[in-house]
Amino acid sequence: MKFTATAGLLASVALWTTAVQAEETVVSALPEQVTAWVKNFNPFNQTTAAPSVMHFMYEPLIIFNALDGGKPIYRLATAFEYSDDLSTITVTLRDGVEWSDGEAFSADDVVNSFELALNNVALDSVGMSNMLSSVEKIDDQTVQFNLSTPSSQAMYQIVRVPIVPEHIWSDIADPVTFTNPDPVGSGPLTEIRRFTPQEYIQCRNDNYWDAESLKVDCMRFPQIANNDQALAAAANGELDWMGSFLPDIENTFVAKDPEHHRYWLPGGSLVAFYMNFEATDAGDSAAFNNVDFRRAVSMSFDREAMVEIAGYGYPTINQYPSGLGRAFHSWNNPEVEDKFGGFTQYDVEGARALLAEAGFEDTDGDGFVETPAGEQIDIEVIVPNGWTDWVNSSQIAVEGLNAAGIKANVSTPESAIWTEKLIKGDYDMAINSVRVGATPFNQYLDSLHEINQAKSRFAASRYYNEELSGLLDAFTQTSDTEKQMAIMADVQKIVGEEMPLAYVFNNPRWYQYNTKRFIGFFSAENPVANPVAHKTNPARLMHLLALRPVE
Amino acid sequence: MRFLLKRLGFYAVAFLVAATFNFMIPRMLPGNPADIMLANSGGMIAPEAREALMATFGFIDAPLHEQYFSYLGSIFTWDFGLSIKFYPMPVTDVLMQALPWTLFLTGAALLISFSVGTLLGILAAWRRGQLTDAIASPTALALQSVPSVVVALCGLYFLSVRNRVFPTSYAFDPKLDPAFSWEFFSSVAYHGFLPVVTLSVVLVGGYLITMRNNMIGQLGEDYLAMAEAKGLSDARVRYAYAARNALLPSVTALALSFGALFGGSLITEVVFNYPGVGNLLYLGIVGRDFPLIQGQLLIMTLAMLLANLAVDLAYVFLDPRLKRA
Repeated sequence: MKFTATAGLLASVALWTTAVQAEETVVSALPEQVTAWVKNFNPFNQTTAAPSVMHFMYEPLIIFNALDGGKPIYRLATAFEYSDDLSTITVTLRDGVEWSDGEAFSADDVVNSFELALNNVALDSVGMSNMLSSVEKIDDQTVQFNLSTPSSQAMYQIVRVPIVPEHIWSDIADPVTFTNPDPVGSGPLTEIRRFTPQEYIQCRNDNYWDAESLKVDCMRFPQIANNDQALAAAANGELDWMGSFLPDIENTFVAKDPEHHRYWLPGGSLVAFYMNFEATDAGDSAAFNNVDFRRAVSMSFDREAMVEIAGYGYPTINQYPSGLGRAFHSWNNPEVEDKFGGFTQYDVEGARALLAEAGFEDTDGDGFVETPAGEQIDIEVIVPNGWTDWVNSSQIAVEGLNAAGIKANVSTPESAIWTEKLIKGDYDMAINSVRVGATPFNQYLDSLHEINQAKSRFAASRYYNEELSGLLDAFTQTSDTEKQMAIMADVQKIVGEEMPLAYVFNNPRWYQYNTKRFIGFFSAENPVANPVAHKTNPARLMHLLALRPVE
Repeated sequence: MRFLLKRLGFYAVAFLVAATFNFMIPRMLPGNPADIMLANSGGMIAPEAREALMATFGFIDAPLHEQYFSYLGSIFTWDFGLSIKFYPMPVTDVLMQALPWTLFLTGAALLISFSVGTLLGILAAWRRGQLTDAIASPTALALQSVPSVVVALCGLYFLSVRNRVFPTSYAFDPKLDPAFSWEFFSSVAYHGFLPVVTLSVVLVGGYLITMRNNMIGQLGEDYLAMAEAKGLSDARVRYAYAARNALLPSVTALALSFGALFGGSLITEVVFNYPGVGNLLYLGIVGRDFPLIQGQLLIMTLAMLLANLAVDLAYVFLDPRLKRA
């Protein structure tokens, strides 16, 4: 009985699939893992809005391609220009763009979208109110952004604000709680064909301005709650475009269909061990404030083991003393590597020697060193519970620290507690990550600039360096590439010499794909742009437009 | 009557105490929803927007007692506010979407394990010391002591991941819409099979052992010897005489577990990505979705108390002495 029911169901599913494929092409994608889809298409909502709202429903002005040196790909805008003093940006808009309901797109829509963000703090997830003093319409095709502080980096943030149609949104009484049930957008896929908590389908915008690039009709988003289910669905060939942690990927995924199952894991966010310069324990804090101690910590880390064993070989090792990362090698200051490169090589003996030289000795005979003033050092390394690759990396780190004579142990709080401890400064050492931008600027700004310290988990080390912050500010005050390179070289020099963070590797960006039904996927051989399907990656729009159904 | 009034008074107090715990416990958890959301958004939210977000989600910085009274009020209006995790869905909608699936999953598992366990218990007691008993009773004890997470994970791994006999998630095929059709019901059965079976396997042992022990207690009674002496068939004596009397404690246990039914089976639902309330509670806790946790705990409390009340009422009818008390 059970068996016939199953067989009948499978047969009907097979029939359904063939019937659909004959009519239209549907890409099944897994941009994020959730337990139920919530019908919320408000693009300003960064928490529970459906993951296909940004970029697919609401076309961005410009996409800055981090894999192509941050070059702009123009979408709703066709040009942007900073004024000489970097205090205003003039953006030219694309002519002939229509919203999905047929109304024309114009400068009013752009101005209105930014005013929504500026007037409603809850909608301002990008932080526009700190950056812009006002937005002005110059004419129907031109908008001017007036910056509160001159900055050559503002445009990278401005393009993260969604552009919504004024003729719809100006009538919405409360845009914060608005769920936008009948979305009108400018992107490739604006029609919600079907919506259930377990699956939704989003289809083609008949008025899409770049329709000739769009070769797929719909995207299907199945609800998948965790990595195990993602693996099962991926191995079954049910997903075309996804991004999940798949353990032992060659065997569990690729081997199921070697011809079609592929993956590419380009380096992403920067992972480092943070040391709390204001740790409550006097001994720990004294140690962390000593540059030789920080260098010894870095030398005791077996980065290769973290990458190969803890990370299944997926991460990209990072042995730049400045944490620059392989993706930004064109910015590298070789002098920094020559001078401080030794401190990022795994060398336990070297670490011991360095500690001894700096006066860290075991004075009470417990086998672990004390500070030169004789205070106990006992480091607790926090890592979110269940983040297995990071937990194992932390174990490796602690083994290295112990071998170098530093007392340390791992603690695994829940991720929420870990975040809270980082923000409040209630920790000794933590494995943590900072997102990377189109240039190395963002990773330094978010983690090391004074103004950000203790405000977010990225800047949890409570390291204050006026000179470094000044350099980062200077970087935003010039748009001259030569000058920016020179400033970034100095930034690397300070970070490499001071080692406020012990950088270990760059997290992989999770990206797997299946070429059975579609081709054109970005890959290591075809690295056009960041291929990740997650809502934080605007370049996924270019990826969608690159897909072609298999003939 | 006095007994009933006393019980009702007791339940009112118990409910208030439980409701207070429901309010306090989530708030004692470290961490808060806004920070979790900030972390989950991958750094997309500027720290400045945090306060505004908190306000949007109804986190007014009111003193605790004010929050408490508005919460107590919400119990009577059945309005638990908006869920944070499923913003902007009202908590009641979120819970009502999940509740039928939990009732189906846990209800089916309870009925199956109760029937199978009780029947096996009767047989084991009747043939105690023989092969049936020698196999069934230790097996039941062993299965009962295996945590349900192990059974569920084994089932998922061997039958869904290694051999793709059963699906790894959902209550029915996401491509289908709920309808009164063979296709839909067969899909529900197909997706529910593994969760129901793994849940039953764990529960069956308890019913078997209870029934077996009660049966053995009954078997020494004179009325059974009498029934046998009258020449009644073996089966008649076993089921209509012995089992009938031995069943009462098991029925009480079953009635009480129907109260627990509303709590869902957290582990089984999470493992099989089954859209029930147990899964919701887990998500609510991880995401510090206070309104959702409160709503779900309150429903559980009410269900438990009502089940207890039902058992109390049943006893009044079963035991005449209570009527006078």
